[in-house]
Amino acid sequence: MQRVFVTGVGVVSSLGYGRQAFLDATVAGKSAAREVALFDTSGMDRNIACEVHDFRPRDFLSAAETRRTGRCSQFALVASRMAVEDAGLSEEQLAGRRTAVIFGTTMGEANLLGQLDRKWIHEGEQAVSLARLPAYGTTLLPIHVARAFGAAGMVQTLPAACAAGNYAIGYAADQIRLGRADVVICGAAEVIEKLQYAGFVRLGAMAPDRSRPFDKDRSGLLVGEGAGALVLESARHAEARGATLLAEVGGYGLACDAHHITRPEPSGAGSARAMREAIRASGITPRDVTFLNAHGTATPTNDTVESRVVRDIFGDYRVPLTSLKGGIGHCMGAASAIEAVSCVLSIVHGVIPPTINFETLDPVCDVDVVTEATERPVDVVLNNSLAFGGYDAVVAFAKPGRLPEPYAGLASAAHAEADARDAADALDDEEAG
Amino acid sequence: MELAITGVGIVSGLGVGREAFHSALSDAAAARAKAFRGASEVLEAFPDANTAEVWDWDPKPWLGDKGHRNNDQLTKYLIAAAKQALIDAGIKDAEGVFLRYAGERVGISSATAYGSLDAIAELNRVAELEDPRYINPQRFPNTVINAAAGYVSIWEGLMAPNTTIVDGNCGSLDAVLSAYTHLAFGRADAMLVGGGEIVCESLYVALAKLGVLADMRSDGLGISVGEGAAFLVVEDAERAWERSANVLGYIRGYGTAFDAPQSEAVLVHAGSDAVQAAIQLALAEAEIEPDEVDVVASARCGLPSIDDAELHGIRAVFGHDVCVVAPKQLTGENFGAAGVFGMVMALAWMNGARAEPRVAGPKPGEVGTAVVVSVGYYGNVSAVVVTKE
Repeated sequence: MQRVFVTGVGVVSSLGYGRQAFLDATVAGKSAAREVALFDTSGMDRNIACEVHDFRPRDFLSAAETRRTGRCSQFALVASRMAVEDAGLSEEQLAGRRTAVIFGTTMGEANLLGQLDRKWIHEGEQAVSLARLPAYGTTLLPIHVARAFGAAGMVQTLPAACAAGNYAIGYAADQIRLGRADVVICGAAEVIEKLQYAGFVRLGAMAPDRSRPFDKDRSGLLVGEGAGALVLESARHAEARGATLLAEVGGYGLACDAHHITRPEPSGAGSARAMREAIRASGITPRDVTFLNAHGTATPTNDTVESRVVRDIFGDYRVPLTSLKGGIGHCMGAASAIEAVSCVLSIVHGVIPPTINFETLDPVCDVDVVTEATERPVDVVLNNSLAFGGYDAVVAFAKPGRLPEPYAGLASAAHAEADARDAADALDDEEAG
Repeated sequence: MELAITGVGIVSGLGVGREAFHSALSDAAAARAKAFRGASEVLEAFPDANTAEVWDWDPKPWLGDKGHRNNDQLTKYLIAAAKQALIDAGIKDAEGVFLRYAGERVGISSATAYGSLDAIAELNRVAELEDPRYINPQRFPNTVINAAAGYVSIWEGLMAPNTTIVDGNCGSLDAVLSAYTHLAFGRADAMLVGGGEIVCESLYVALAKLGVLADMRSDGLGISVGEGAAFLVVEDAERAWERSANVLGYIRGYGTAFDAPQSEAVLVHAGSDAVQAAIQLALAEAEIEPDEVDVVASARCGLPSIDDAELHGIRAVFGHDVCVVAPKQLTGENFGAAGVFGMVMALAWMNGARAEPRVAGPKPGEVGTAVVVSVGYYGNVSAVVVTKE
């Protein structure tokens, strides 16, 4: 079974564009929390978010690309372009049916839909922009990305709410392991939209000022936005072109709480199953995990349940954990993709970014929060995520060469890879013929 | 790929339940009349809309009469289809008790393209016309695309992976790959695979504006919107045989491909090369030759540029001698759910229902092998191979 490597990363974040700016800002513990500029928050009783400011799509995209896309696709496309450049892949290497694009999101082009809805509501259907309607299409994030690089294989969108990034990355690794793609550009993108903002306020989940993960005085999340993109390649493909391997994608664990649509199941049983599976499929033990990138939304319930899961899985091993959400907010669907970029950068640069705004540990959160940037070799990181729908998803990343071989996936998946590879070869023969 | 299909659940304008749906197919003309009954029940602003709605829907047999006040229509359709499919597969009894497999080992791969539009539009109305403070927090989750599938897991106690797929019209065929992937990696023993859509005003406004609705055109072309939900229960074939499940058919191959348009200004398009490649990948995986295929359940939707590209791609694989059927002429265009409706129809043809309405090729004899095709509006195409044996 093919091993899967990250060979490029790209990020559009409220703390900067591109891997270096993002790494510098997260390690320095900067915060992007500001008053909301995207829309009027009057009457909402909250007015802080982590927005991507000064985003000029024309710095990264052609005029035609800018016209065809909404803000969410623009984030996805810009992050993907950075990741492809980081991977050193040419369009010639990406062209064809063996390159896939898989993206996650919660609501996709929510800004565009909001604009269309507001026109309809206030001015009637005749005022709705005909030209902008097709740009709302629900699967357009990967379509725009595939089109930009001539990728002609699988294009799929996984709307897995706040776990969407991990869903996309884990599924992308699955497809390479199954032999259905050699290269996958994957990740997730999200924009802040008025309706979501108001919804989180009405759920009582929005902090008034700061996001303080695991702090005893935490008062909820701040929403954020942006995109994270990764280029994943099969070992065969990466080695054949002499690619720099940034990290290996380890095990992928998934579960569903089947408990409540917005709240995690109190025992954390589903989240623990997902985490246990990510560790098992990586072929490692919990003690091999250097640190955990926590979901850490700073809502009272999430951090309590997540801490419970950490003790359940790690026992007396005091695994360090960090949450980036104090600085970049909760980027919803994009969160675990942007944070996956951070996990990879931690492995590459040997540094764990701090959890900012953390002052006093909540006694019900029996965890070891990283409060200052910590330089140390990073072998394995778990990227944890939970989401509306009771979704639990965990992806492991490791320094190349640190995970045991072969990949600890099941035998049935190895047979599946051989079948898919045969099918692809048959198609190549047909096209050649 | 060898997935056994061991259960079906369906909520549609042609009937609720596998047997009702199958028996409605015995007469295509009558089925079309049943589905496209006339005046819409849900589109207040379009009382003359000709849509294939789930008429006379009574959710009580499936959902009871409590606890669904804040669930949207898509959620209700999905829960009803899931419940039927689990019972049909013998995984649950009629009381909802697991007979085979534990809840931790049953998951969902569910598709929708526009399933949350109605909830978003309604809450945007509340925010714009009333006040954002009046947004009902119980209904806010319905704006999140995966919420409907999440509710299915909650109501049915399904704790294996729950995945929603949004690939436009290709969603529920791509859900087959999702389900297969989770089974291959041992994350589940059985998966519900399918999806749903609902007829709603915001979607209808958009399609009317785009000028693609059949009932607003005089040339006989265009889309006729449908709705409903369907799930198949799929499991590893050997596991299904071991538990002596009633195997309704098999999914043996999946293929998908994408072609970008040639013009930089264009977004909506379909490419026949992608149609051809998706079908060829699915056939190669199934180890089935084109001349062994009895019928193609096409994605024919009424838009000439999309339909012509599809037929061209089908003919590039099969020539002119394969029977091509247009399921959407009976069910309406149900977007992300179209693929699973096509698969349920293929199972019906394998059990004696007539493969109609035929749009190309000869009338088939007994149907043992079908290819189901979905064509997205943005250049993506997916195909699966369904067999009786």
